[in-house]
Amino acid sequence: MKFVCLNCETYMNFEKVEKPGEGSLGVFFGCPSCGAKFSMVTNPGETQMVSSLGVKLGGRTAAAEPFEMTRGTLKDEALAGSGQMAAYLNEKIHGGQPVASSAAPTSGKEGEKTGSGCPFSAIVAEMGLTTGGKSTSGTTGTSEFSWSSDAKEKLDRLPAFVKPMVQSSVEAYARKQGYKTITLQVMDDSKNDSSNGVTWSREAEQRLENIPDFIRPMARKEIERVAKERGVAIITAQVMDETKEKFLKFM
Amino acid sequence: MVPDKDLKTILGKLRYSDDAKVVQQITEQTKNVHARMAGIKHKLVVMSGKGGVGKSMTTVNLALAFARQGAKVGLLDVDLNGPCVPRMLGLHGQSLQMTPEGAIPPIGPLGIKVASMDFFLDEASPVRWKGPMDVSPVWLGLMEMNVIREFLADVIWGELDVLLADLPPGAAADKPPVIAGFIPDLAGAIVVTTPSEVASDVVQKSVTYARDMGIKVLGIVENMSEYRCPSCGEQNELFEGNTDAMCEVLDLPLLGRIPFDRKLARTFDKGAPLLDETYPTIQRYQEIAGRIRTLLDYKKVLADKL
Repeated sequence: MKFVCLNCETYMNFEKVEKPGEGSLGVFFGCPSCGAKFSMVTNPGETQMVSSLGVKLGGRTAAAEPFEMTRGTLKDEALAGSGQMAAYLNEKIHGGQPVASSAAPTSGKEGEKTGSGCPFSAIVAEMGLTTGGKSTSGTTGTSEFSWSSDAKEKLDRLPAFVKPMVQSSVEAYARKQGYKTITLQVMDDSKNDSSNGVTWSREAEQRLENIPDFIRPMARKEIERVAKERGVAIITAQVMDETKEKFLKFM
Repeated sequence: MVPDKDLKTILGKLRYSDDAKVVQQITEQTKNVHARMAGIKHKLVVMSGKGGVGKSMTTVNLALAFARQGAKVGLLDVDLNGPCVPRMLGLHGQSLQMTPEGAIPPIGPLGIKVASMDFFLDEASPVRWKGPMDVSPVWLGLMEMNVIREFLADVIWGELDVLLADLPPGAAADKPPVIAGFIPDLAGAIVVTTPSEVASDVVQKSVTYARDMGIKVLGIVENMSEYRCPSCGEQNELFEGNTDAMCEVLDLPLLGRIPFDRKLARTFDKGAPLLDETYPTIQRYQEIAGRIRTLLDYKKVLADKL
């Protein structure tokens, strides 16, 4: 954070920090040009936000102790520090009235509007959203694509919890390719379509089978990365040789 | 009265200086994390979108498995609000030893170095922060991230082959992938699930989010895959799910399956973990640790087998 002296059109310099009261900081700035002085006073909450960054305004004079912030901020007495912010707000903003009174839940029609005490539910309702971020008036479950009966049957055979991800991945591929209908062939092709936009020759796929199965997905990504680096769109036996050559250097 | 001025024009002419030294200190904090972790060969996080799937049990057993295989291992319990690793390893009640050079972690079974929030807490005490903002979720988030930063920067890990971090539950808006992003040169994430559809659904989200954050997910461990009756020895499935299908969709290897093992779990509950490497469930952890090591050395495998 910086302050600007609008008269002199220059940044004010940080000068010092003082503690004008419990939980409060006074941060002093001066204009290097006209000499004007300015002090920013923080409330206890703002003071704690700064201290939880683990920094000292103006810089450290001694190295930090291990776990300085953790140890300094862990509560050793159940009520230590609590109520400090409420007291501050009470004094400065609410003119001595208890803070809680301004936050008390409203009754009658106001309360009935949301149907619950949660302040977020009204906002969510106004946005037309339900859980999961789907619009209550939207087209959940419908698709812009027509699915052939055998493709749909294959999709429906998948476990319910993976179906949405497969559907979305196949449809993303179909959208990219400009297809309107999703067939079994499109589903199969979508599996071979990598996010890098590279495809695999049959020979290269066969050589990938030499890699232990649990390491194969990582190997596939690594080879695709090498292909992309070299601007190659199809992974052939030659790309595999070049990749092997590259990794032999790590042996 | 100062006439209205165009602030953008004024700022365009000025040169920023960090005279309160805040940027400098935050930069130094990052450098400290990097310097402290420079002696660690492989940094791994264990995560899951879902709570209660056995992340801590998996992390602790993988740490023990790596140690049995001769590796120097560190274990960081990043679950600030529910730390349980020290209790599982019989270290509850111990503490980090503070020195001017940093905090020395207690040593657990098989020489594993352990750091946990538990070392700062009294028996049965929850984590409570003092100060006026202790109930502010925004402040709590900031505070917890900086506590984790201190765990990374201030613990003297020394030379390690593997550091495993047990992350708290959560998928996206909450912190785990963000925490993982703090760790310099992270080798990857191990994701734990149970074969239940509910867990798989949430785990998929956490994998997607982790990948969005640029974290390499190494594979999935299926925990509580079955249950062996301690009386009759019959083995049954605890859930009806399909982790294989999830792994295929996510294009991730299934690193292994761990049965629900009451006998083994009880030893960790009592803080006296079973260490017998011939015990069947422990052998499964050994196999998973072996696969993880192969994954970490995948470049050699590619050079050899491709």
